[in-house]
Amino acid sequence: MKISRRNLIKLSATAGLTAFTATSISPLLGVVNVAQANPRKKTKITPFNFAVIGDAHLYEMPNHRFDKTLERAVNDVLKMKPKPDFVVFIGDLANFGKKEELLKGKRILDKLRKAGIPYKMIPGEHDWYLDLGKFWKKLFGSPYWSFDHKGVHFIGMNSILVEDYWTARDMTPWERMLAIAELECHICGLWGVGEKQLQWLKEDVKNLSPDTPIVIFTHSPLWNYYPRWNFQTKDADAIRDILSKFEKVIAIHGHVHQVVYNRTGNMVHIGNLATSWPWPYPPVELPYPKIVMHRADPGDIYDGVGFATTYIDDTFLGNMKYVEWADLIPKDLKNGIPL
Amino acid sequence: MRIKRYLLTGVLAAGILTTLIIKDSKSKPPFEEEELKLMNEELINLVKKGDELWHSPKLGTNGLTCANCHPDAANSNPHTFPKYQSNIGKVATLREMINWCIQIPLKGKTLPEDSEEMKALEAYSIYMHRGFKLKPGDNEKAYPPVRVESGPGYP
Ligand code: HEC
Ligand SMILES: [Fe+2]
Ligand SMILES: [Fe+2]
Repeated sequence: MKISRRNLIKLSATAGLTAFTATSISPLLGVVNVAQANPRKKTKITPFNFAVIGDAHLYEMPNHRFDKTLERAVNDVLKMKPKPDFVVFIGDLANFGKKEELLKGKRILDKLRKAGIPYKMIPGEHDWYLDLGKFWKKLFGSPYWSFDHKGVHFIGMNSILVEDYWTARDMTPWERMLAIAELECHICGLWGVGEKQLQWLKEDVKNLSPDTPIVIFTHSPLWNYYPRWNFQTKDADAIRDILSKFEKVIAIHGHVHQVVYNRTGNMVHIGNLATSWPWPYPPVELPYPKIVMHRADPGDIYDGVGFATTYIDDTFLGNMKYVEWADLIPKDLKNGIPL
Repeated sequence: MRIKRYLLTGVLAAGILTTLIIKDSKSKPPFEEEELKLMNEELINLVKKGDELWHSPKLGTNGLTCANCHPDAANSNPHTFPKYQSNIGKVATLREMINWCIQIPLKGKTLPEDSEEMKALEAYSIYMHRGFKLKPGDNEKAYPPVRVESGPGYP
């Protein structure tokens, strides 16, 4: 479909989006999707946007390169016009789950809150396995939650729970953390959300009608991508089953540090960039080989990394736009990926 | 060249000390099974050492390891060397590029190119891309490593 600038303005107006101004990180082009939507469909959504930041992997040492890239993401979000309604941090704020790392991360993210942009957190494995989430929960509260916003039901879950690999091996908390801090940890096993959260999810969506727009955040993908690197969630099938009654579900995940996209049944899945480092594509066939990022220049700390802004229109068509700081996103994806 | 004659002392998994004696042999087949096994063990020991270094922050000063960005040695593309590296500004070998990544992303000190450590890093990178076709000069693609189902990725 061809969209002329003129057309675009008209579409924006129809969607009541005239307030959106085009800045380099504005999700304006999300309106491209409006044209594909069924105009007769009644919905309760007031269009809005939010940002997703994640995989900051902060180290304890001061002035670390990963401080700079997380700070850059936060500063970019502060400059977004219009202001995003909220930010979701999608896990791996710390690298080794240390108090100093988590506190540093909170200090940086709190700039958002001070500017009137609330943020929600879910944990990644790097936040969790030093003290099994104790300090993270103290700072950020429950690792799973839901809320309603402008007609959309948002869900966040803790998807990085593994079975105990440390007790039998007599590992210290630090050894436990170091083991799972390796992507290719071969003693850690597959992770998931576990029975308790599955029950919670069932309850959470029980009374929602099938036409409720759902957005779900997990650290790891809700499909089987590459289990070797825990690019998976063990109970993803069960989650997808619970959510199968809905017309459409948008699933956003971190952990993979790369552009990746998939569709399963009623769900679209998309991976967020890290602010720390990019991860190579694993040795499996990609479901959507066109939706990938370019190789990164290892000499540029701002290449291969970034974050995303997501625009939700009144018919629950989403558009996720990766915010890059170097030439990372292929031309035809620069205006965002329809969700 | 003749294979050196070793009197090797190895520790079996069970913890029993055994002594393996390799007979005099020429550096050409046929090798005895015992010899082949031993030669392969020597290689895997080097790969294992490389694996440990690949995952060690000791190579650098900013806490990072090679595995931060190259899990299972992914995208180290050993089979594409030698090739022109824009970061270095000349045709570089795998060892030169390993040293470049030690210096820049890890903010560490380069290793002597003929050091045991360098050999080990190289061995790990290559072993995780075993079976790949040589493509010297390939600057187009990044290559995932061999597909690993479980374990460290080598026997
Ligand atoms: C912060 C991330 C990062 C770290 C840490 C890092 N590298 Fe790299 N390295 C890269 C990126 C990015 C590339 C570019 C290759 C690609 O992905 O396309 C690269 C390229 C390379 C290449 C050349 C590949 C090619 O085809 O050009 C080698 C070899 C390499 N790295 C080895 C290492 C080794 C050994 C270490 C540890 C001493 C290391 N790297 C640490 C990010 C990193
Ligand atoms: Fe991560
Ligand atoms: Fe992670």
